[in-house]
Amino acid sequence: MTLKRASDDIDRSEPAKKPTPDTTLHTALPATPLTTASANMDSDDEFNSSQVSDDEFMADQDSDVSIEDDSDFDIDQDDVGFESQDKDIKPTKQTYEVDFIVYSPDQIQGHQDKQVDEVSNILGQPPESTAILLRHERWNKERLIDHYMEKQEETLESAGLGETSTTNPPRLEHVKGFVCDICCEDGPDLDTFAMRCGHRFCVDCYKQYLYTKIKDEGEAARIRCPGDGCNRIVDHKSLDLLVSSDLQARYHELLMRTYVDDKENLRWCPAPNCVYAIQCGVRDKDLIRTVPTVRCDCSHFFCFGCSLNDHQPAPCALVRKWLKKCEDDSETANWISANTKECPKCHSTIEKNGGCNHMTCRKCRNEFCWMCMGVWSEHGTSWYNCNRFEEKSGHDARDAQARSRQSLERYLHYYNRFANHEQSAKLDKDIYLKTEKKMTQLQNTTGMSWIEVQFLDAASQALQQCRQTLKWTYAFAYYLARNNLTEIFEENQKDLEMAVENLSEMFEKPIDLLQGLKVEMMDKTSYCNKRRVILLNDTADNLQKGNWEFNVTL
Amino acid sequence: MSLCMNRLTEERKQWRRDHPFGFFAKPMRNSHNNMDLKKWECGVPGKEKTIWEGGLFKLEVTFPDEYPTKPPKCKFTPPLFHPNVYPSGTVCLSILNEEEGWKPAITIKEILLGIQSLLDEPNPESPAQADAFNLFKKDKVQYEKKIRGIVKENPAP
Repeated sequence: MTLKRASDDIDRSEPAKKPTPDTTLHTALPATPLTTASANMDSDDEFNSSQVSDDEFMADQDSDVSIEDDSDFDIDQDDVGFESQDKDIKPTKQTYEVDFIVYSPDQIQGHQDKQVDEVSNILGQPPESTAILLRHERWNKERLIDHYMEKQEETLESAGLGETSTTNPPRLEHVKGFVCDICCEDGPDLDTFAMRCGHRFCVDCYKQYLYTKIKDEGEAARIRCPGDGCNRIVDHKSLDLLVSSDLQARYHELLMRTYVDDKENLRWCPAPNCVYAIQCGVRDKDLIRTVPTVRCDCSHFFCFGCSLNDHQPAPCALVRKWLKKCEDDSETANWISANTKECPKCHSTIEKNGGCNHMTCRKCRNEFCWMCMGVWSEHGTSWYNCNRFEEKSGHDARDAQARSRQSLERYLHYYNRFANHEQSAKLDKDIYLKTEKKMTQLQNTTGMSWIEVQFLDAASQALQQCRQTLKWTYAFAYYLARNNLTEIFEENQKDLEMAVENLSEMFEKPIDLLQGLKVEMMDKTSYCNKRRVILLNDTADNLQKGNWEFNVTL
Repeated sequence: MSLCMNRLTEERKQWRRDHPFGFFAKPMRNSHNNMDLKKWECGVPGKEKTIWEGGLFKLEVTFPDEYPTKPPKCKFTPPLFHPNVYPSGTVCLSILNEEEGWKPAITIKEILLGIQSLLDEPNPESPAQADAFNLFKKDKVQYEKKIRGIVKENPAP
């Protein structure tokens, strides 16, 4: 009880301790070149200043990151507080956690606009051309500026901007004697349009073309002029002039998508209908050393490396291997080779379910010896006792079979436990609903207040998270080589699993007993969470140091 | 009239007014002996001074309703022995691919000229049939011999 009370206080006080001075302080921050702080983080990549400053914020995230979006951040901060209540009150970052920032669509748009403005000033190009250039160079600002300064004409040409873009805004025109190359229409009243490349078409054809590109093909940043062989890219001003507003909205949405898609440190939240993107400094090459689980503001936990659901402690490469193994039939094949043989004559698959070694194939009536697979008539007098059994071929066959059998058993051991936790995780929804029902029931029957029944919600959440982690510990363990570290890992795993099963049992108890179990359940919940953190820290720490030995190469 | 039909009528007019030497292209007739503008019968001659010289290769060009937003399908009848022609006879060419080089402003004339160039300049990056591709890769002499045989079977008038 006391523990809960204490942490409750912390929860409440934490958001309150975040008044405006923090924000003001930070808006001022990017101006001061604090690059030394971030140098060790991103020395090898090509961030521009705005992002470097983001990373700086990430570096000292614990104390204050509330610059971008206060309301969003509060949730996050609360959560850190929640988790830490079960640890040691202090919200320090755990080894298994990574720094990340969640961005809303508006913020992403803001980032783009800011970069476009910046580069536009440097290059002396209008913003729409700059946007095209940036997209063409996949938002690599430094590379663009380099290329531009070195070979201006070439850079413009390859981005589809040809010649120098002028200040002439795009407009519709009537041209005398014009015939549209697409629909072959002509007439003095025909609205026509051409970009700087001069490929002129009637507005209807242009519209139709853009419509298919955007709606059907999902293109945005690299739509080229409809003229044959012309590489000029349709800029957004021309596009806005030509297409309807709903298509414009789609176009800008797609443009924004390319921004996130092109940036290595940005990734969309994969949850259905979620519009947020996450920024995280973890690179592909880091993925064998760390498992970057991030939490979107839509409360979806996922891996920044591969977008799959949270799979800590197993690194992405192992997860891929494991999922592939579970999907393909490799173990079915193993079962077949462990338990069956083929008739040496007709190759029918035969499972021997008893009896002696004298086999008669039901299909082709071939008689052979199960041990040596040789023809039975050649066995001479050694009926029912194959004297060729000790021969090398027989020996090898037996070894191979034993290995197959062992490998199968090993896989099934891990798979069954993995699947069990996955199954339980699938029941998460039910548990959640059940919890809610229980909480209302408990409030009605015992007169407990809402805040007093929150322990059930906490227990339910802990169960879900721990099961998710446990599930992946089995995939992880399957690939571990046997050594002392593995034994420690298995101890941790056992401990967590037992605690989770205990808590799960209590959770299922009838309502009238729950109130009496409150303290015990809170203790168990906190214990589960603590054990999970310990297990994840241990694995993450050793992963970072490269201490794990796997029986496969990653 | 729809965009597709309008455009095809116009292309037919332009082709009759002027077209590259040695080529032919005309809409086919359907079972009721009506002209079907969406299905053309075309012929592409081999380029001079190449191993394809002297041959004339027949194609069926089928235009989709979305033409010219979407490209037509070009199919050699009978299927042609060529690294970039599928066993069905369909031509694999970047300008005929919606996701690659197709632009609504490309006309039948450009398509047929493109196919003519493809004859002698196969693109080993996108093989479409194994036989021709393997022979082209492994044994140029045999490949050329085989092509000359095909040219003889499909002589230009």
